[in-house]
Amino acid sequence: MDSFSFWFFGGCALVGATLVALMPRLVHSAFSLVLALIGVAGLYWGLGADFLGGVQLLVYVGGITILFIYGIMLTPRDATRTKLTALLFPGLIAVVPVAVMLHLAWQGLAVAFHAPAELAEPQPTVDAIGRAFLTRDQYLIPFELASLVLLAALVGAVFLARRRKES
Amino acid sequence: MDHLAGYVFIGAAMFVLGVFTMVTRRNAIYVLMGAELILNAAALNFVAFARHLGNRLDGQMFAIFIVILAAAEAAVALGIVLQIHHHFPSIDVSKPDRLGD
Repeated sequence: MDSFSFWFFGGCALVGATLVALMPRLVHSAFSLVLALIGVAGLYWGLGADFLGGVQLLVYVGGITILFIYGIMLTPRDATRTKLTALLFPGLIAVVPVAVMLHLAWQGLAVAFHAPAELAEPQPTVDAIGRAFLTRDQYLIPFELASLVLLAALVGAVFLARRRKES
Repeated sequence: MDHLAGYVFIGAAMFVLGVFTMVTRRNAIYVLMGAELILNAAALNFVAFARHLGNRLDGQMFAIFIVILAAAEAAVALGIVLQIHHHFPSIDVSKPDRLGD
């Protein structure tokens, strides 16, 4: 991955995630989440995961964000306001462990992998992922289970979200 | 900048921001967005490590399953949020503190 796209998409992800945490209005946070998810999709492409990047765009940016927007529209508006000053004190408390954690991540990895070997040129992954999903000793069972989980979750979501008659 | 530490740095920062969002906000939808950030950070780490430690496909498969489960989680959780909104006037996560009616 070349330097420009790493910094561009990484910056998208970081700025988006920061705005999600800090925006006072819920809708603005939801759109910042879109920015962060697009940044992560770009990082996936840079890591040679072309299929996963597409999945990220379709499912996250196209699907889950729409769910969030609907959730925001269906819930009361005055509950969606947070004063930025209310975040100041927890933010100050959070700074120290965050700094320690990021420092450790950076330092430990810089020691362990300071000279990355020449990485192989990324290959298209769609074919290999399709085969892995449908090969029995690889990911066939998790794949089928995932379809069951999705079906159960979506039926359950419809059941949960419907309005009950008596109330 | 094809460096593992850069990706781990971004993943750690997104994880921390997700935890921060979940802890500081009391609106249920903010909590869900924090959870999405955390899941994305974990998936990014999976893919980055798989690429840098042998260029294997397994990290990407794990990330795909994370996306699948995140979709299921978001759907169910927003259904629950709508029911909370139906039972209580708000969707403050500290309001529902008793079981049953």
